[in-house]
Amino acid sequence: MSFGDTVIAVLNGLPVSALRSATPLLFVTLGETLTQRVGIINLGVEGQMLVGAITGFAVTITFGNPWMGLLLGGVAGLVLSSIHAFLCLACGSSQIASGIGVWILGSGLSAFFGRAFVGEKIEQGFRTLDLPRLALVPVLGPLITEMTPVIGIAIILSPLLGLWLYRSPTGLTWRAVGESTTVSRAMGINSLWIQCQGIMAGGFLSGIGGAALSVDYTLTWAEGMTVGRGLVAVGLVIVARWNPYLVMPVALLFGGSEALALRLQAAGAPISPYLMGTLPYLVALVVLVINYGQVRQTGGMPEGLRSVFSHTV
Amino acid sequence: MRDPKRQSIVQLQGISKRFGALIANDQVSLDIAPGEVLALLGENGAGKSTLMKILYGFYQADAGRILIEGQPVTIDSPHTAMRLGIAMVFQQFSLIENLTVAENLMLASAKAPRGVWVNRTHWVKSHSRLSELAPSIQPTNLIRNLAVGEKQLVELVKALDADARVVILDEPTSVLTPIETQRFWMLIRQLADQGHAVVFITHKLEDVRACADCTAVMRKGRVVDMSPARDRTAKELVYMMVGRENLAIVNPVPPSPAYPRLQIQNLSADSDASSRSSASTIRNVNLAIAAGEIVGIAGVAGNGQQLFADVLAGLLPSVQGTMLLDGTLLHRAGKSSRQDIAYIPEQPLQNGVAAELDLVANLWAKKIGKMAFFPLRAKQRTHAARLIHAFDVQPPDPTLKAVNLSGGNLQKLVLARELSDSPSLIIACYPTMGLDIAATQFVYEKLFQHAQSRACIVWISESLDDLLQYSHRIAVLFRGEVVGVVETSTANRHQLGQWMTGGREVA
Repeated sequence: MSFGDTVIAVLNGLPVSALRSATPLLFVTLGETLTQRVGIINLGVEGQMLVGAITGFAVTITFGNPWMGLLLGGVAGLVLSSIHAFLCLACGSSQIASGIGVWILGSGLSAFFGRAFVGEKIEQGFRTLDLPRLALVPVLGPLITEMTPVIGIAIILSPLLGLWLYRSPTGLTWRAVGESTTVSRAMGINSLWIQCQGIMAGGFLSGIGGAALSVDYTLTWAEGMTVGRGLVAVGLVIVARWNPYLVMPVALLFGGSEALALRLQAAGAPISPYLMGTLPYLVALVVLVINYGQVRQTGGMPEGLRSVFSHTV
Repeated sequence: MRDPKRQSIVQLQGISKRFGALIANDQVSLDIAPGEVLALLGENGAGKSTLMKILYGFYQADAGRILIEGQPVTIDSPHTAMRLGIAMVFQQFSLIENLTVAENLMLASAKAPRGVWVNRTHWVKSHSRLSELAPSIQPTNLIRNLAVGEKQLVELVKALDADARVVILDEPTSVLTPIETQRFWMLIRQLADQGHAVVFITHKLEDVRACADCTAVMRKGRVVDMSPARDRTAKELVYMMVGRENLAIVNPVPPSPAYPRLQIQNLSADSDASSRSSASTIRNVNLAIAAGEIVGIAGVAGNGQQLFADVLAGLLPSVQGTMLLDGTLLHRAGKSSRQDIAYIPEQPLQNGVAAELDLVANLWAKKIGKMAFFPLRAKQRTHAARLIHAFDVQPPDPTLKAVNLSGGNLQKLVLARELSDSPSLIIACYPTMGLDIAATQFVYEKLFQHAQSRACIVWISESLDDLLQYSHRIAVLFRGEVVGVVETSTANRHQLGQWMTGGREVA
């Protein structure tokens, strides 16, 4: 195989695999963006993703319905995140500690209930668009034919949430709460309830993200299969500057570099696979540096997040 | 103006309120009439704010009642107050800095439309009083990009959008520049002429002169006088506020031999927008200050005063130039800051104290370089107690966190720390901001004392009156350059005004 062939082989399916690998991340990052927008940081997303992934996988295997798996995966994430909501909002515990607690709890629970499902494979996943004629169109062809409904939802969700956050009255309330709970309370907003909603919305979306991973992407379950994607999402929220519109390109960039690393490896590029695995993280770091070089400030961080770190734990 | 048949909109009758042992309000009665500006005067801690916070539902009175248009009402929360048409604008604004003006106004308004496609700018222009009261403020501006005076206007618009009939303003002019203040007075008159009742809490007599119809003076929790503004002279008002006939007005002592102790040569510096002040620059500042001399730095806010003070205090680096004190370099790179420089920064809560630490730690902070490895807490405590007493910080509890002090007392706390030793250079940025008459005089007294013991004093202020009365020389900063220096005795306002506006004729 000549070098040219290799390049073509690597690049040809890249857009599709980038999209596929970005989809779970897109859900989770959007969810965490919402949570952080109301002034709460939730490090438990990793655990919520895992719980979502195993729930989604188990439901899909048992009932043969991937839609149900996706939905219940989201619900599982929501339930787990409500522990975070209870600990931070009702008990006033440290958000960092509570988040880490939720994370560890989630990975433990998912490992425990997942033992029965190791080695199984989903036969009836989401169906892709079956249009053989479209597949012949060069770049767009494989993109459209391999598109699953989950990917479609993820793509639509990003601008939809952006529109909601920046243009709707409820979105405005959420942003106000994230900036200052005292001021919003003075305006008659129930800031505690909004923050609770923010955490649960984040939990639901991270659960869906986890389910998308197991039900739509890998079609299998493995313990700890998210391999840090939840924490990556927390980072990507910062890269996307708490802006749902920007979450899409950021997640795609990350997913794209992940897919690129995998494809380079498959094509036999003479680089250590371990080194290659760091590519997405390097890209994210570079984006962060460039990004902040330009903004030179907090880059749109909700003011309320500051208090997470300024109060002594 | 004030006939007995005058219809009050709000009547407070026999209001009493105590906080522990402190009686904040003692049987206070007050009438507020529509179409009138009522100046509520009094020293810090006279109970003005408490009384108004009771009307605003922030506190509940222990005794007494509130009548609105003759009907007794219970005001149990600010929410209820707003429903009854009472709004209060505090010194600390309740605006969200990272949202736009339009968004803040919409958040506060119950009438704001709920659609996704609403054009917010358009809504604000047609449904809010922003364009009427402050046409120069763009609805799309972020609050954090506004000047203090503009923020205050947005606050006021917010209150009026909620159909407030009674507007209470808590020392509104203490944060404004002279020009903003004048505009604000006009606006207040305009509101009163439209039939609003305005209560103006203040301790500045110029506020009374400029726009009050009626004055009420409070002292130690009681209203000691209530009369039409034109019936009272400034002197009478001061007497009633302070309770002493002649407050000794101190005067500066001329500086000792006129050789320069502090020499600033060709000083230039830049700060970008990422530091705490907005982007500014100073260019080729030359200034020599004699021992015991008080040099006032005048200028419109934002012409480099903040940067100049920071550089002088060694907080920011200079680009070029030298600063010599007694012939030696004032700051050397890598050296910790000198003990004998006293710096009273602008906005003490952000720049002058560790907000979450107690008063003991805050007052000791200056001595941190000399602190023992195992410091004696008792020693720090006595030190703190002594300073708190000397500078009359209220409440006098050394274990309180700094963030819990009111604005004026926070200022006193910083003053106590900075002015208690024997500094050789004092850099004071608006040192009397938020202080009442007695405390202000005390600050000047302290400055003069230090001047007499040969300290150099750089005093940044926007009030020409104060500078002309209490400083020896005045230097004017315009766009980061010293455009003129003049002996106070020979200074004239017109000339200073021209320098401050860059040589243009003052309107």
